[in-house]
Amino acid sequence: MTQRFLSHADLTALVAELVAAKTRVIAPVRAKDDPEQLDYSPIQKLEEATFGTRLPRRSMKEFFLPVTEVLLRYQQTKEGVEIKATPTEAPPIVIFSATPCDASGLDVVDKVMSWDYQDELWFGRRKAATVVSFLCTAMDAVCFCTAVGLGPDSIQGSDVLLVPVEGGYLANVITPKGEALLKGKGKAEVPAGAEASAAAAQGEARKKVEANLPKIPAEFASWLAKNFDHPLWKTISLRCHGCGACASVCPTCHCFDIVDEHDSSTEGARRRNWDSCQTSKFTLHASGHNPRGSQNERFRQRIQHKFSIYPTKFGEILCTGCGRCARTCPGGMDLPTIIGELMTLAKTQPEGSSL
Amino acid sequence: MKELQDLARKLLSEGTVKVVIGYEEGPRGARAAFITDPEQADPLIFDTRCVQNLAAYLNPRRKQIATLGKPAVVVKGCDARSVAGLIRENQIARDSVVIIAMQCGGVLENPDVAGELTSEAVSTRCGGCDVCEPKLFDHYIKSATAKTPPVNPKRTEQLAALAKMTPTERWNFWSEEFSRCIRCHACREACPMCFCVQCTAEKGTPLWIDAAATPRANRAWQTMRVLHQAGRCVDCLECERACPEHIPLGLLARYVADSVERRFEYKAGDDPSVPAPMGIYRTDDDEELIR
Repeated sequence: MTQRFLSHADLTALVAELVAAKTRVIAPVRAKDDPEQLDYSPIQKLEEATFGTRLPRRSMKEFFLPVTEVLLRYQQTKEGVEIKATPTEAPPIVIFSATPCDASGLDVVDKVMSWDYQDELWFGRRKAATVVSFLCTAMDAVCFCTAVGLGPDSIQGSDVLLVPVEGGYLANVITPKGEALLKGKGKAEVPAGAEASAAAAQGEARKKVEANLPKIPAEFASWLAKNFDHPLWKTISLRCHGCGACASVCPTCHCFDIVDEHDSSTEGARRRNWDSCQTSKFTLHASGHNPRGSQNERFRQRIQHKFSIYPTKFGEILCTGCGRCARTCPGGMDLPTIIGELMTLAKTQPEGSSL
Repeated sequence: MKELQDLARKLLSEGTVKVVIGYEEGPRGARAAFITDPEQADPLIFDTRCVQNLAAYLNPRRKQIATLGKPAVVVKGCDARSVAGLIRENQIARDSVVIIAMQCGGVLENPDVAGELTSEAVSTRCGGCDVCEPKLFDHYIKSATAKTPPVNPKRTEQLAALAKMTPTERWNFWSEEFSRCIRCHACREACPMCFCVQCTAEKGTPLWIDAAATPRANRAWQTMRVLHQAGRCVDCLECERACPEHIPLGLLARYVADSVERRFEYKAGDDPSVPAPMGIYRTDDDEELIR
């Protein structure tokens, strides 16, 4: 990892240059319907972006896994069926001022996207994207990135991490992609004291999040697996409506459904759409049987998948601690509190329930 | 609050109900509470942050609640209309639930920011409230402080702006809003009145609405949903609170509700015995098409 120093003017020029070169630049922008809130949106110049004041409402996963996307188009011809696959190459995109929790979400989801099958569309977009994240200082009481092993200055999934220092930004160049983006930009010499002040800001930011929830211990995954039938699952999610809004705003929820839909009687498209294990239809069998018959089982799945199944299989928690699920839930389900309670239970009942 | 807690304790210890669904202080403000032990009734609260419509938990699709046994539910007068709706449409029997109605002086638009109920802070649905003193209840808990809530002008202004638009402008306005829809159906899942076992959105043979979030399918879905809510929606805004894309679904539903009121002189109320205009068949109906 190398470091560079960029002034605000350098950043402004960089964005202008990218836009001029027809690169799509995405950054947190004030939401049209609520100026208090931020959304990741395309920008034409840096001034349109709002840095680090708060977490954007939704994660940036939609730029990598669109809400709906065409996998292939089909058309009936006299000879048979003509199939046109979607190109897997994506146009260049730079995500500017991503939060480290959102950037790391991409890296976490990479694991499943390359597991039994290399998801060409996902990796096509990943390859075309450069992620410039920004030290997060906008944490609130719902943030818990440090509990899942990340942090407000985590570099996972980022190509560059910017840390504001006096007179500009300390750019931590993490990957060759980041290097290519910042080549010749700003200065290679970092002003005296910038490194120390960045480290201090990072330390302070970490401390703030750490106060919200202790780090989840490695054995938590196996405790959850052992306690699949613990009575706690019967009461933990009573207030959950099963609306799945948590999954929509989550940077790591990546489940999708594939459907063939006709546009006319002779042509149509195979599309993949976001889906969520929190809705009853997700596991509904054609027979009418539903193995996850109530919200208790569905919420258990959410917790087990994120904090036990995924870490066991891929070595990483399927959660970046961004807290969006808790902020968005209309029923008041609060993931950091729930995880905290489960961790306490794991400590007091290390062997689990005696049922 | 003591009156509410005492009542919950009594209902639970007598065995009249197995669970009291009310509000408690959560880690981030007021949230739903499910009290099953009479010794644990102390957390029950009621104040201006109690925005959520708890009647949604009576919806038979909430199977995790149904397994707890007979419920008592704490409602505001407006939420009682949802209970009435569920009874009217034969989803629950009147005697299958104990209704604890609170005298309410309005709730906050944004319960995360506690404060005085000014005309800016009050929920848009509280304006013109005629059920601050509920009529559908088994127990009524009066408040010494509840006054008629102020009117938040936001909704009136939005409705007036919509009414002023030409049909094309209105179509464009909603098309723009619906373009953000991701077809997650959170609006439906959070709605107290969406209780269909199989939703039209999920009918595959024939396919009514594409599952993909395309402009065409989004419009079809939102239009279909709000039309199915006509004369049934009680403006509780649970759909809007659930929407991760912040589409003004409450405004849409309210616009339709107002149309129903204008054309049918009917407002979804708290008397379950009054049938809804879209839920009855009469041989002497004015409309030949229906007759």
